[in-house]
Amino acid sequence: MWEYFKIFSNPKKLRERGVLGMNARNYYIIGQHNKRSLYPLVDDKVQTKMLADKININTPHKIGVIEHQYEVKDLLRIVEGYSEFVIKPAHGSQGKGVLVIKNFANGIFTTASGKELGFNEVYKHVSNILSGLYSLGGQYDTALIEELVHFSNVFQNFSYQGIPDVRVIVYKGYPIMSMMRLATKESDGRANLHQGAVGVGLNMRTGCANNAVSHNLPIATHPDTGADLMTLQVPMWKEHLMIGALAFEMTGLGYLGADIVLDKFRGPMMLELNARPGLAIQIANCRGLKEVIKNVDKYYPKGLSAQQRVDYVLNNAK
Amino acid sequence: MKKKICSVRGILAICLFLAVAFASFATYYKIAHWGFSFKPHEGTEIWTVDAHISFIPTGEPIEVALSTPRLGAEYKILSEDVVAKGYTITKDEKNHRMIMKSAPKKHKQDIYYRIMLYDNEDVVGKIRDYNKPKVTKPTFESEQQRAMVEEIWKLAETQKEGTSAAKIIKLLTAEVLKPEVDTFLPVKKSQRIMAEKIMYLLSYKNIASRIVRGVKISEKRREAPADLMLEVYEGGKWMVYNIETGAAGLPKNFVVFQRGGVSLYDVVGGRHSDIKFSVIQSAVSSFKMAGKRAKYEDSRVFDFTIYNLPTLEQNTLKWLMIFPLGILLVVLLRNVIGIPTMGTFTPMLVAMSLVRTGFCAGLICFALIIALGLLIRTLLTRLNLLLVPRISAVVIFVILIMQVLTIFGYQYDIRIASSAVFFPIIITAWIIERASITWEEEGAQNATKQIINTSLVAVLTYFVISNTYIRHIMFAFNEWNLVILILVMQLGTYTGYRLVELKRFAPLIKEK
Repeated sequence: MWEYFKIFSNPKKLRERGVLGMNARNYYIIGQHNKRSLYPLVDDKVQTKMLADKININTPHKIGVIEHQYEVKDLLRIVEGYSEFVIKPAHGSQGKGVLVIKNFANGIFTTASGKELGFNEVYKHVSNILSGLYSLGGQYDTALIEELVHFSNVFQNFSYQGIPDVRVIVYKGYPIMSMMRLATKESDGRANLHQGAVGVGLNMRTGCANNAVSHNLPIATHPDTGADLMTLQVPMWKEHLMIGALAFEMTGLGYLGADIVLDKFRGPMMLELNARPGLAIQIANCRGLKEVIKNVDKYYPKGLSAQQRVDYVLNNAK
Repeated sequence: MKKKICSVRGILAICLFLAVAFASFATYYKIAHWGFSFKPHEGTEIWTVDAHISFIPTGEPIEVALSTPRLGAEYKILSEDVVAKGYTITKDEKNHRMIMKSAPKKHKQDIYYRIMLYDNEDVVGKIRDYNKPKVTKPTFESEQQRAMVEEIWKLAETQKEGTSAAKIIKLLTAEVLKPEVDTFLPVKKSQRIMAEKIMYLLSYKNIASRIVRGVKISEKRREAPADLMLEVYEGGKWMVYNIETGAAGLPKNFVVFQRGGVSLYDVVGGRHSDIKFSVIQSAVSSFKMAGKRAKYEDSRVFDFTIYNLPTLEQNTLKWLMIFPLGILLVVLLRNVIGIPTMGTFTPMLVAMSLVRTGFCAGLICFALIIALGLLIRTLLTRLNLLLVPRISAVVIFVILIMQVLTIFGYQYDIRIASSAVFFPIIITAWIIERASITWEEEGAQNATKQIINTSLVAVLTYFVISNTYIRHIMFAFNEWNLVILILVMQLGTYTGYRLVELKRFAPLIKEK
């Protein structure tokens, strides 16, 4: 009986480690720093993309937007001339409803996992997106068609299919914690930790791997590719952090998560922003968020520009 | 930042304190004044006692006086009513008499006095009285008479137990009377004569006693004369004796109308007067009774409570009053424990229908509907339907499944199946839709996990909201819902870890 309770950790010890819980995140962090009226800016990817373009944050180029069911049949016309693209719901979350087309030729759509789909199936997928299947709360949605990211070869050995991305948590404009999410066989090409993806905590100064977890347990190598995760280093680290810092300027959200991918040709690109980023990043970094947030509140200077904040983090982050 | 939150919590803490104080007071008030109880009993026994006075007028102005039971003495009085057409009715509170006056009348008069009484827990059969009553010693017409009395007292004293009064009464009420006693008593032994004889004997030994008139409450008592009891002054208290059995103490079912010297009733301006008593027993729901009590106590508050509503509305509210507790449970399970379920209040809705269907039957039906629904949903996937029509199709399928289950349940007399009707159709359809999407996206394992989570929370909620005690308490003492409201709001400021997070974040402290 007592053994069973040992799976629960002592809340006092968690507090000492500065671990942020869901309730505390919602109450102190999101409730205090994220104005409700700002949510649509990040919940709607079309809007996010427009804002990002204004402030010169790199995002994948937009191919087209489908807003109404009757427009779905125009899909072929919209993607004409593109052999690869991504269809995603504008209000989706956690990568739900994202359809990656690696190759489109002769009316056949080949997905990232190699599945071949006919127009009917893609048509159904888009109309599902429009009817709100993947959106928060199930309201009507729009489908966003973007260029495919040519993700950098740097991470080839570290990910089993899928696009590895960097999640940066930004508090009051300071990037405070980050991790890289690597898809596994189990996660089916997705980068969500609860679906079995690997999370690698990154050093805020260097972008080097600090710690890696899979299913909440520390690991040293990728379960599918066998790559040594501790050798992972994200190139163009400063640019990654800049996207995070600019996202604060762009949205005004005091606490946000920026998902960034590294494109072979165009460098780091912002995929999406999240006004309520999850807490798994703490496990990947083996570090509590509250502890860092306290430091920011106490010691980090106020009123700096995005560039200055990134420099500050690069020099002072612990 | 922190200060602001502290003040929010502070305000809520004060609110909680006030709410608890209010709820406690209201609970106390309901128990003390309206007779509510924590136990859910179906009804309380109440007795309707009718005193029927009839007489023939003599042609003079009429004045009828009737001794009435004292309020709160033995029985508690629910209502008191006089039916006397053309009479002016006044109540003499001091002497506990109802006085009815009228101008001369011609025909036979019938006056009804009706009281409704309930519970006699307070009956003690002893009435404190520190003023020692005066006793007039009997005068004897002859020495023979005195000898007879002394003889009887001697006989009485041979008994070992009891006070002298008890001994005398026992002697005189014995089934087989001693010859001495038999000669002392007249042949016709009415209650009244017996009482007078005993009083006579007692007065010889300077013991005060008096006659008590009232009604023995028992069912099917119709138009019977008043019953008599004897009260004897012993050690500063009036002790009641039954003159038929000799037993001491006021019987549980005796209602006293009149005591001592005053008459039970007087009729001026009438002859051939008579009084008869009828008793009807009935059971009344405690809430209905509370209303009667409250009315008797002149409490207007009761009119504005849910207990004064028609039964139909009451039952609906009784059903609603349990939900705040269920909601509190859901909040606890989600924000403190951290169990993820499909939809916030879906488990509660399922629990609600479980109450309607019965536990096992409901669960089996629920499982059956979900399983069949999922099967049909997978078939629908292949048809490439849009979301809204697809969900609508699932809804219709759910309705059809319920229909089939009900028909088969009826035909083959399987009671379980016929309870299917009570499931909320839309919610069930949504559970199927959500489960099927989870199934597709996150695999069968996650989908089953979610369904099981939802069912577990539903079962837990079911046990809370189906408990008769909890339901009764939440209805009878509905002011506690205010406390629940504040508690839920307080939980809105709970920023500690959820139980599942203690497990989730465990690697963080194991590391270093």
